[in-house]
Amino acid sequence: MTTLAALEKGYEFPPASFDLSEEWVDAYVASVEDEAMAALDGGFVPPMAVAALAIRALLEHSSLPPGTLHAGQELAFAAPVRRGESLTAAARIASRGERAGWVLMAVELRVKRDGVAVMTGRATLSFPVAEGAAA
Amino acid sequence: MTQQRTSPAAGAALPTVTKTITQEKINAYARAGGDGNPLHTDPAFAANTQFGGTIAHGMLVLAYVSEMLTAAFGEDWLASGRLKVRFRAPARPGDTLTSSGKVTSVDGGKTLCEVECRNESGEVLVSGEAEVSR
Repeated sequence: MTTLAALEKGYEFPPASFDLSEEWVDAYVASVEDEAMAALDGGFVPPMAVAALAIRALLEHSSLPPGTLHAGQELAFAAPVRRGESLTAAARIASRGERAGWVLMAVELRVKRDGVAVMTGRATLSFPVAEGAAA
Repeated sequence: MTQQRTSPAAGAALPTVTKTITQEKINAYARAGGDGNPLHTDPAFAANTQFGGTIAHGMLVLAYVSEMLTAAFGEDWLASGRLKVRFRAPARPGDTLTSSGKVTSVDGGKTLCEVECRNESGEVLVSGEAEVSR
């Protein structure tokens, strides 16, 4: 499995499809103790769950270097997502640089349902340069 | 049935969300999110990092912020929410985190908010901005 440290700016992750199964959504909601979603009708999935599962799907083919830090996050939700739906995630490395011995990497994420974006995002990650050199 | 909510006015505080982080919760999130970074789940590995111990996933802490925004804006948050944050300090097992926010402006159907998450010592762990359209 490729580590993120080996990837350069412009790299496009292979698109990944995933299902928001009842079982997985329940496990996610339990892990984050989300009490607000229960007040909404419609079988909606917490928007952060969509982001988490999209990232999980993309990391099927490339792992995070040990000790990777999450420095920043941008997210935009375009439509509610419901339990049982199938989504597709795509991502690319938007930037990569080094500062004070750390790699700073921005990864842009786009999640679609039937070809229409339901969520976009940008994560800023950081890991030691040594991890990149070793990869 | 869609729940109808009243738009918070400028200056209004968002409903706070308070959670206590434990290693068990971090491990449960790692399993659900598929992020087995040892910085979060392996105390022996984490002890030798700059943090000296495990820390919670940023996306776990952000889920608490999102819960607050869901409580404040309901389905509008799911349909139109935008969030931009920086992770300023780690959340550790044993920390009690409080997410809070304030409406900074309401203009043309767009509500802008400042949001943050602090630990029990008042240290800001996450800060940023959220936007919701109605």
